Amino acid sequence: MVTKLKEVDILIVGLGWTGGILAKELGETGLKVLALERGDLRTTASDFSLPNIRDELRYVHRQEMMQDAAKDTITARNTQSQEALPIRRLGSFLPGEGVGGSGMHWSGGTWRWTDMDFKIRSNYEDRYGKNFIPADMTIQDWGITYAELEPYYDKFERVAAVSGKAGNIQGKKQAGGNPFEAPRSAEYPLPPLKNILSSKMFGEASQKMGYNPFPRPSANASQAYTNPDGSKFGACQYCGYCQRFGCEANAKGSPHMTVIPIAMKKPNFELRTHAWVTKILKDSSGKKVTGVLYTNLTTGEEFEQPAALVLMCAYAFNNVHLMLLSGIGEPYDPISGKGIIGKNYAYDTGVGGNLFFEGKNFNPFISAGGTNTVFDDFHGNWEFDRSKPNFVGGYIVSAGHNTALPIGYRPVPSGTPSWGKEWKAATAKYYQQAMSITTRSGVLPNRYNFLDLDTTYKNGFGQPLMRLTFDFKDNEHKMGQHGADIINQMIAAMNPQKSSKASGAKRNWAFTPYQSTHNTGGTIMGTSPANSAVNKYQQSWDCSNLFLIGANVFVHNSAYQPTGLVGAMAYWTADVIKNKYLKNPGIMS
Amino acid sequence: MKRVHFLTISIFLSHGVFLLQANAQDLKRGEKLFEACASCHSLSKEDQNTVGPSLFGLFGRKAGALEDYRYSPALKRSGITWNQQSLNTFLVDPQKSIPANRMPFDGIPNAKDRNDLIAFLKEKYK
Repeated sequence: MVTKLKEVDILIVGLGWTGGILAKELGETGLKVLALERGDLRTTASDFSLPNIRDELRYVHRQEMMQDAAKDTITARNTQSQEALPIRRLGSFLPGEGVGGSGMHWSGGTWRWTDMDFKIRSNYEDRYGKNFIPADMTIQDWGITYAELEPYYDKFERVAAVSGKAGNIQGKKQAGGNPFEAPRSAEYPLPPLKNILSSKMFGEASQKMGYNPFPRPSANASQAYTNPDGSKFGACQYCGYCQRFGCEANAKGSPHMTVIPIAMKKPNFELRTHAWVTKILKDSSGKKVTGVLYTNLTTGEEFEQPAALVLMCAYAFNNVHLMLLSGIGEPYDPISGKGIIGKNYAYDTGVGGNLFFEGKNFNPFISAGGTNTVFDDFHGNWEFDRSKPNFVGGYIVSAGHNTALPIGYRPVPSGTPSWGKEWKAATAKYYQQAMSITTRSGVLPNRYNFLDLDTTYKNGFGQPLMRLTFDFKDNEHKMGQHGADIINQMIAAMNPQKSSKASGAKRNWAFTPYQSTHNTGGTIMGTSPANSAVNKYQQSWDCSNLFLIGANVFVHNSAYQPTGLVGAMAYWTADVIKNKYLKNPGIMS
Repeated sequence: MKRVHFLTISIFLSHGVFLLQANAQDLKRGEKLFEACASCHSLSKEDQNTVGPSLFGLFGRKAGALEDYRYSPALKRSGITWNQQSLNTFLVDPQKSIPANRMPFDGIPNAKDRNDLIAFLKEKYK
């Protein structure tokens, strides 16, 4: 029995960063806004206070803030010829669940993607010729520009309390920042975090080698701060429990202490937690959505929630999954290359090396999500000639400590036994003496990396799981090899007593261990319904009153972390809904 | 002579002796400094406890005394009554002052900052 509820004006599915931003902005219109969130409501006061939050067993090993793989998960395989199996315990990626979503347990890395990304195909074709991009690399221009997004990047950085050092303010280069970034209208809202020893040593070495190091921009407030909405931040305490944890000091920019409580104060906003959306409903024309079906997880009751406008703000995977389950848009077929939904799935990759310095005390327990130094000479630097290494994209190189946990952080030199007395002695010895240098590259989409519905396995609601077919391709291997060479040169220059060199050896993607939660694509942005699922406003081409908001619209992944762009595009979409769509609903151009 | 004078003041300040009467400017500074606390502590009767206990009516209150706030055992056991001097000592280095308290804040090393912050709290919200 499905109970049909009263229609709302705006329905938000998933209340994390994007849902929170849309709820706050559209709540200001006075229209009835309803958010459905399948997880719990968490607050700093009741959930992240000391000492409970500093519990590695609970939050890292038992994954308490993450999606429950027993209810719903995805199946995974490397190639179409394999049988995909369900990921029964999350590993490679950790999507969050609950109000605040992954925005609660992120590290805070906040970057601005530029026209280098948004015009990726044109840029590479112009500079390297039409044959440079491999035939199976399905990249295309996004249809959006940096200039359009700049004010919204700025807005998101101010709301999320991003600490950093600008490298380019209105075209003027700034010492100490990223010289390769696109011009920003103003400095970061907060100065960089403290430069911890490992970051400092890496910064000095990279500078000597001619690179351009700068502090990683991150939503970890380097000092007490009140954002433009009046949300108050404490100063980061460098507690060492950042990534995978909620912030005990309200210093990490998170939706639950910024946009969401502001939305919740509005009488026209309503939040229903434990509400699991199973389907987006269409009208008979198929050109409009009419609302969603959801199940109240506490009672098991099923509801139809009608809405004039539906905003899909769930985690990227779940937005794509619901599109496939609801039959909106044409599912992608890698053989024919036809169809859109599920296309251009992309991920992160990288390589790393460890350095061991006798006599150093890195104090890795003192760290934040953003206590890293990084350089961008092989990504944002368009002058870097990709023709010889022969890859599209690039990577950033960074070092420093972030969330070096007491149980999990056990760096030992290669050759150390993996258990027993010698291992114990080595972990005790090297805990203070180890640092690492890593690269991060965005995976570029490939024709054979995609999402579709699994033909065997079903979730707790009897619906097919989403199936991920993914592997690293040649482009990733080439970036890995190039990055490993650079890291190994740096290790040689920094001259530690012991080291484990970076390896660029070919490898297949595996769903353990943890690699990154930056899953992108599946409902990509583009210039026409023929090449994309959404237009540059994240509006569905198929149903004009449906918006698919988040990293699921990314055409490809990048060396930069995705949240800065996700946040900026959420504000951009909120603005266009408020000022254009609501006045004249329909496909916006 | 000048040098001795400077040293004397430094010693007084670092030991938390309040020689200076807070003026309007100090109170304004104190209000600004309160930003470091505001993310977790409210000052109004209405908002009451958020992440930390409300600081409304703090002066003369025993540490750990609000019934509807879950304090750390360390703070409850401390036996402290909040006044100018105890707050000053506490705020230099809260973990050193009351070990195992659960306030995630590393303290205010500057004596003038503490002075102005406490003056603000006392003046506005005692």
